[in-house]
Amino acid sequence: MNDTVHITVTVNGEQRELDAAPHHTLLDVVRDDIHLTGTKECCVVGECGACTVLVDGRPMNSCLMLAVEVDGSEILTVEGLTDPDGRLSALQEAFLTTGAAQCGFCIPGQLVSAHALMAAHPEPTLDQIQEALAGNLCRCAGYEQMAEAVFMAGKEGDR
Amino acid sequence: MQPFTYARPETVEAAIALLAEHRGDAELLAGGTDLIIELRNRWKTPKVVIDLKRIDELAPAIVEKDGFLSISASTVMADIVADERVQRLFPALVEAADVVGSIQIRNRATLAGNICNGSPAADTAPPLLVYEAEVVIAGTEGRRRMRVDDFIVGRGEVALGDAELVTAIELPIPAEPIGSAFTRMTRRRGTDLASITLCCGVDSAGMTRLAYGSVGPRALLILDDSGVLADPAATHEEKAPYLDRMFVDASPSPTSMRAGPEYRVAMLPVLGARALQTAIERLAHAT
Amino acid sequence: MTTGSVGTSQPRFGGYGRVTGRQRYLADIHLEDALHVKLVTVPSARARIISIDASAAKEIPGVRLVMTAADLPDPMPRHGPQYQDRPVIAVDEVKYHGEPVAAVAAETKEAAEEAARVVEVAYEELPAIVTVADALAPDADLVQERSIRRPGSLIDSNVLCEYNFGWGDVDAAEADVVVEGSYAWPAQTHFAIEPHGFMAAADEDGIVVWSTIQHPYQLQKTIAQVLDWPLAKVRVIAPDPGGGFGGKQHPKLEPLIAFMAVKAGRPMRLVLTLDETFMAVRRASAEIQVRMGFKRDGTLVFQDFANDFLVGAYGDTGDRITAKASWLSAGPYRTPSVRIRARAILTHTTPTHPYRGFGIPHVGWARESCLTEAAAALEMDPLEIRLKNLARKGEEHVPGDTPADGEWEQTVRKAADEIGWGTPTPPGRGRGLAIGVKSGPTTGLSYSIVRLLVDGSVLVFSGTSDMGQGARTIFAQIAADELGVPIDQVSVVMGDTAIVPFDQQTSASRSSVLMGNAVLFACRDIQAQVRGIAARSHDLDESEIVVDRGTVQLPDSRLAIVDVVKAGLGKLGGELIGTGEMRKDAVPEHPLGGTASFFEFNCTAVELEVDEKTGSITIDRHVTVGDVGLALNPIQVKGQDDGAAIMGLGHALMEHIIRDDSGRVRNVGAIDYRIPTSLDLPLELESFMIENADGPGPYGVKGISEGSLLVTAPAIAGAVTDAVGVVIRDLPMSPERVWRAMREHS
Repeated sequence: MNDTVHITVTVNGEQRELDAAPHHTLLDVVRDDIHLTGTKECCVVGECGACTVLVDGRPMNSCLMLAVEVDGSEILTVEGLTDPDGRLSALQEAFLTTGAAQCGFCIPGQLVSAHALMAAHPEPTLDQIQEALAGNLCRCAGYEQMAEAVFMAGKEGDR
Repeated sequence: MQPFTYARPETVEAAIALLAEHRGDAELLAGGTDLIIELRNRWKTPKVVIDLKRIDELAPAIVEKDGFLSISASTVMADIVADERVQRLFPALVEAADVVGSIQIRNRATLAGNICNGSPAADTAPPLLVYEAEVVIAGTEGRRRMRVDDFIVGRGEVALGDAELVTAIELPIPAEPIGSAFTRMTRRRGTDLASITLCCGVDSAGMTRLAYGSVGPRALLILDDSGVLADPAATHEEKAPYLDRMFVDASPSPTSMRAGPEYRVAMLPVLGARALQTAIERLAHAT
Repeated sequence: MTTGSVGTSQPRFGGYGRVTGRQRYLADIHLEDALHVKLVTVPSARARIISIDASAAKEIPGVRLVMTAADLPDPMPRHGPQYQDRPVIAVDEVKYHGEPVAAVAAETKEAAEEAARVVEVAYEELPAIVTVADALAPDADLVQERSIRRPGSLIDSNVLCEYNFGWGDVDAAEADVVVEGSYAWPAQTHFAIEPHGFMAAADEDGIVVWSTIQHPYQLQKTIAQVLDWPLAKVRVIAPDPGGGFGGKQHPKLEPLIAFMAVKAGRPMRLVLTLDETFMAVRRASAEIQVRMGFKRDGTLVFQDFANDFLVGAYGDTGDRITAKASWLSAGPYRTPSVRIRARAILTHTTPTHPYRGFGIPHVGWARESCLTEAAAALEMDPLEIRLKNLARKGEEHVPGDTPADGEWEQTVRKAADEIGWGTPTPPGRGRGLAIGVKSGPTTGLSYSIVRLLVDGSVLVFSGTSDMGQGARTIFAQIAADELGVPIDQVSVVMGDTAIVPFDQQTSASRSSVLMGNAVLFACRDIQAQVRGIAARSHDLDESEIVVDRGTVQLPDSRLAIVDVVKAGLGKLGGELIGTGEMRKDAVPEHPLGGTASFFEFNCTAVELEVDEKTGSITIDRHVTVGDVGLALNPIQVKGQDDGAAIMGLGHALMEHIIRDDSGRVRNVGAIDYRIPTSLDLPLELESFMIENADGPGPYGVKGISEGSLLVTAPAIAGAVTDAVGVVIRDLPMSPERVWRAMREHS
């Protein structure tokens, strides 16, 4: 009953072998087992987006999926947006430039959602941005600054 | 979450065998956007969770076959929204699927799951009713088909046996153009559970199909063949009594936190008239 | 030579961590050997606890401690920022839905959750008081026993405290027109995206408590008090909160965690779920009655307020919110006679906690709405009636308090211009405008230490919490400019009472003024030392030297501070240490304990349309203008102003806590408590600043951060009236509420 399931996942480009309890969410495993704490926990009902990660390129709420479901998948967390040498992506830079990060707690989820948007639409419109980020709540309400940042990064082209 | 065993069958038959083995103690997992919440809150405490996503037959796919557009059980809302055929043939389904939660949810939530969990507020139920969609069900006795209208029973209840699962939802490709539109009522413009979901379809023969949810135990489909509602030349005043008649069975919950029953009842003809108008315009554009 | 970072949009300190996921919030910190804590509650707003049986819970593998009132000192230690009435854990009676009755500590989070589920609490549900009317009924049960009330005439009532403010004689005032109305503000919750979290580890040297708290020094004091330990044995580590909005100001569950850590001899960790934060903290609701008297030409003759704030089961800051907000009920208007009766009323609900705006939005909603209604009654323009009565700079709008401290008319006219007031309104639209004013801190005490190191880099130590407002950045800007170093040579240290000196609190938009001045004074202390060094090095008298803004002015040359210091410190190196103290002393005879150190002044104007069939509001343009004195960092000011405006929209349009008949909160969590998303913004939102450098902070700054949500609701309600003719006096202005108003109107 409490048996773990062996899974193979690629997290931020690095392949990992894990033994996951079936009833642990991907969020639990990312934060507590892999120790990637950039992914945040807030509402755990898929409403706030603080736990957003990319699964095979698509943004999803890691609180609403079992870790065992991602066996064989590629996961990207906020930590994977930065170069190995710590250099920021154009998107991250733009978030700093526009002052989008205030308390910062929602920002990892926002960045991951925005990253997925830009992979599909390298130069997104403001409407596309607001829609793509609608699943990421920000109580500081830096929505305009974030949209401006994504727009700016789109115009510059991600490096 | 209470611990459980995770099963990942590779065939529909294997999944059904697991269901049969664990009758009542097994839960099916597709998108999980409702199930994981139910598990975490211990509203459901299954012994086995059966993940359907490794079953080839159920893999995300939207295909045309035998006059139907068939949407497999693992197909998520985002794929439906992006599909050119669904956009062209069933625009109201696209409109409904596109407001199911956020993009994070739409990348996980499946159309089949949206119908199978029997939520009265399921956004996709009204368009599936209007388009006269059918569910394809697999069980120990083989396969069967059923109209979505018959499949949906009541709050949290669908006509699915303990050892059955839905393999696909299939929409008949209309021979003649249908004009259709979806609309809903929410508390904010961002993602929300609707206090009214509504879809309207009209065809050139003058038939109006109107389906609405979130105002009773299940979404309802009402037909009107008077021709008045579908008539582009009829005035709002002429249509109003016909429209009002379509909502007599609405029975919104008196205790909902989302909107009061009186308001919901008052809004049904407002939303109905708007969706009808859009449907008529779309039909005119298509013909 | 001056770097000139003040007044420029310097990148946020801590920004790198925030965009890379490396920022360590409380939940990201793991203590070795820590036990996981889960709270046990009962599903009642009020219940008598009969017994608690933890035997089944203790059977669960990994469970190390189940704490109940029986395990705590008798009498139960109580704490609170204003009233020390909140028990460490519920004793005898649960007084609000979600009040913990027990807590379980286990080796894993799962074991703790499992065990918390099987702690058997036998309880008797009692009728709960959840409304003002119920609380004030003559035969009402008392929410608090006499033993935890302050002595006085109110002890046998549910009125926690009552205030009577005012001047002139309202009853004798002769008005041509009297307008009145009752306005209600619902309970709301903070919904910071970071849920509250707490950890504690005790050993023979004392205790360390980690918390998402905004006021680490107040937590230190509270823990020392409940444990009866010296302050020096209590260390509080407060990582940058992931949003506070007032909800993280005062201690709540930390005393419980501290007792548990001491009892078990193991570190404790409790990170709340979002749902649990709903039970832990909320904003006051209020019912406010206003009467306003005018001369025929719109001149205010009197304002008469009866404000009832519904504050919860324990005092917390309920009295302070009631008093401070009510004190300014009459707003920024000169009014010959004002009468304010304000009460804080106890109920079986979550204790009221501070929330951005501190009650001012509640009174502002009532006053500004009533003014808009008065304009209609007098057939005047809503802008004109406000400008006619608005206090001009130097006038005492509240006699005896700080006079109007800004060019307020300039702020109002800017907002009016930006919304196009006076130009034809597009068909189907309406415009509304409202003015908000809030007292800054009435007392304050902030210390800072600034160390200029031998290589010319700088350390700033400050007890402020950087929870999104960007306090680190502005303190770095001040130090960089005053000491003449590039801003990237400055580090700002916060959040540890063992390292940073005392700061009273991070609240009331105080930090740029009070801590800003403390940092400035610490830099000036260093400048004074530099003057001495320069005098010695150049064989001059100190009177011949001026040190200011990074430079040392000698009679015949100008040097950089850093160069003078490097030369002066010589071979041994070392550093210069500056200390700064900024004190805003109490005024004992003042009803609030002190005068306003500044006013946060805002004018909000909106243009919107209402769907006449559904009642749904679409905001086409939303303008907010704040008198900021001077923007130390414009991009951060804009972030705070835009953010507050959007938060204000949430409060006005969608947010409210819904309770059932027995007082339980129904909409716990994110699904049925709605806050604005990126799709809920006005079609256009613009924030503007008025900068006259006339504030009491460094270089003339005033506090910001709350202004843009002070009067969002009345501006919107005024525009709804303008658009469709209906008056709304309850919130939120959901489509259903607007629709009902339109139906009744027609």
